Amino acid sequence: MVQLIIGQLLNGIIVGTLYGIIALGVTLTFGITGIVNFALGGFMAIGAYLGWYLTDEIGISYPLAVPIAVAGTALFGLVADQTLFRFTRNNLINGLIVSIGLISVIQSVLLIVWTTTPKNMHYVLPGVLNLEWFIVPKMKGVVFLVLLAVILSTYAALTRTWVGRAAYAFAQAPEAAVLMGVRTRLLQTGVVVYSTALAGLGGALYASLYSLEVSMGSSYILKGVEAAIARSSSGRRRSTRPSVNFQM
Amino acid sequence: MRSLIVACAPRKMRNNEDRAATGWAMLFGFMIGFAAIGFESATAQEVVKLGEIEAQTGALNTYGWMSSQGVRMAVDKINKDGGFEVAGKKYTLQLLNPDTQGNPQQALIELKKMIEDEHVQYVFGPFLTNVYKGIAPYAQGDNGKFLLIGGATAIHLDLGKPNNDFLVRSWNWDAGASGFGSLMVQNLKQRGAKKVAMLMQNDAFGHVARDIYAPLFEKAGIAFDEEWFEPGTTDFSSVLAKIAIGKPDYLFPGYTDAVLYDIVRQATEVGITRFWLVRGSLGPGLKNKDAIDEYIIYSPKYFEQAEASEPKVKAFIADYQAFYKTKFPYDQAPLCSSSCYDHVFMLVEAMKKAGTVDDVAKIKQALLSFTYPGLWSIHFDQTGEEVFNFDIVDIKKGGGIEVMHISPN
Repeated sequence: MVQLIIGQLLNGIIVGTLYGIIALGVTLTFGITGIVNFALGGFMAIGAYLGWYLTDEIGISYPLAVPIAVAGTALFGLVADQTLFRFTRNNLINGLIVSIGLISVIQSVLLIVWTTTPKNMHYVLPGVLNLEWFIVPKMKGVVFLVLLAVILSTYAALTRTWVGRAAYAFAQAPEAAVLMGVRTRLLQTGVVVYSTALAGLGGALYASLYSLEVSMGSSYILKGVEAAIARSSSGRRRSTRPSVNFQM
Repeated sequence: MRSLIVACAPRKMRNNEDRAATGWAMLFGFMIGFAAIGFESATAQEVVKLGEIEAQTGALNTYGWMSSQGVRMAVDKINKDGGFEVAGKKYTLQLLNPDTQGNPQQALIELKKMIEDEHVQYVFGPFLTNVYKGIAPYAQGDNGKFLLIGGATAIHLDLGKPNNDFLVRSWNWDAGASGFGSLMVQNLKQRGAKKVAMLMQNDAFGHVARDIYAPLFEKAGIAFDEEWFEPGTTDFSSVLAKIAIGKPDYLFPGYTDAVLYDIVRQATEVGITRFWLVRGSLGPGLKNKDAIDEYIIYSPKYFEQAEASEPKVKAFIADYQAFYKTKFPYDQAPLCSSSCYDHVFMLVEAMKKAGTVDDVAKIKQALLSFTYPGLWSIHFDQTGEEVFNFDIVDIKKGGGIEVMHISPN
């Protein structure tokens, strides 16, 4: 029984990275644009369906399909930002309404295109790693490592690059950041697009492990927002701007 | 007439009497003309409204699509063929199918609208037990005014009870001597099963399923364990690892393809390779054909085989592809849609037999009196519950398939 519990704790950590990648997108978007983007769950579904479609229907190899799916999702994110979110910046309520409405639009489009039939990708990497006290599917291990690498890279980029420091600066003191030459519109658009790309990556990797149905992103975005809020409420206050408390 | 038109015209227009008279005459002429056309079409071809309360979106939308896909096709076909005639009058069908999202409150709102505002007398659905339980008290209040033709398992419990004359169950029953569940359990016992683990969604239907199947397994002398998962779960590793420790002969998992794909894949990863289930398609078994040892399902109709041998099934698949402009996916939704397709034709047939489109008691009586040779061979028992043949489809390791045709008494 102890083996079972330890094994499942490790499984929880692995699965948790999927929630983590969504939570990261939620945090980044809120910190820079003031929008709690619930539609990231929908973007996750777009990434997942694109990943499945490119791999199983078009026949592209999975390692190539993932970056294409991520790029495709980011493109949708750019369109959504320029046509919708651009007008709701720093307006929590409007942003919420738009993002929740966008979930319905994305789900309806996916339903029309791919119906209710669950989609299940072929085994990308079959087999399990049997560690005696813990069995983990090989693909789950790969997904964990990729997501962990992306999360750590994002953290490194935020703390060690000019763009990352500019984002921090903007989140903490927007006016000062503008005066220091930070191109705020570009930064905000960039963050929205990057967040949707993260969601797309989460979705494309998710597709290799689980079956897809159009509302798949809902539970992930809710847990992602919960994770972001939990981290925010336990974090150290760095400014009066609420977005800063939403960890970056 | 002219003086009347002028008198009716606004004061300013009387100054230009001729123009006003001509204008108003034209207006009246159009109005009378349109009214006449409308009256003529109304008398020549009246409309029977059909309602449908099913989920079109949401986690359980498969169950909504099961019904609605077939119903839409049938309504379209009947109308395109010129409608139908009852007691010398021609009728067409109008379908109202809002989205309940699988939510009982939303379903109740939609049902009220249908009955109170639209005066619908024939409602298809729901397939979901939780939705049925949500609308049942309201529907019972309107007993006698309409028919509810739904597949929800919980409908079985109300059939034949006082104040439930409105109910017709459009699916066959699991338990009882002729129940497909009973026959499936007997079949499982013949395969030498000693222990079955059930992994069900923690919702209304999951609990109804447990209440039905636990006694059936007990009666058959098969040990039975139960585990539950919450709606929306996609990672079943923990609970499957726990089940694997008990070494069951078969896993009896879930009831929709949406979860079965994940359960089957993840179960094989912890060493569970034999599956037995009473709902769901072949898809999850075939997808994991190299990892499973056996995947036994209850299939109302094994379409892949029927398509080759039954012209009606072949035609339905062609019509489905033309109507929805997509490939026929051979999964849960379209397979069950084919029975719901038949139900619309059965209702029309019952109206013809009863000689009325609005006497629901007569129409129900007529509906229960015949066997309809459609895509399925369907009849209803005297309580209003559907009876039909079914197949037990057994997928073996590697994808080999054995089919057993079962005819309940």
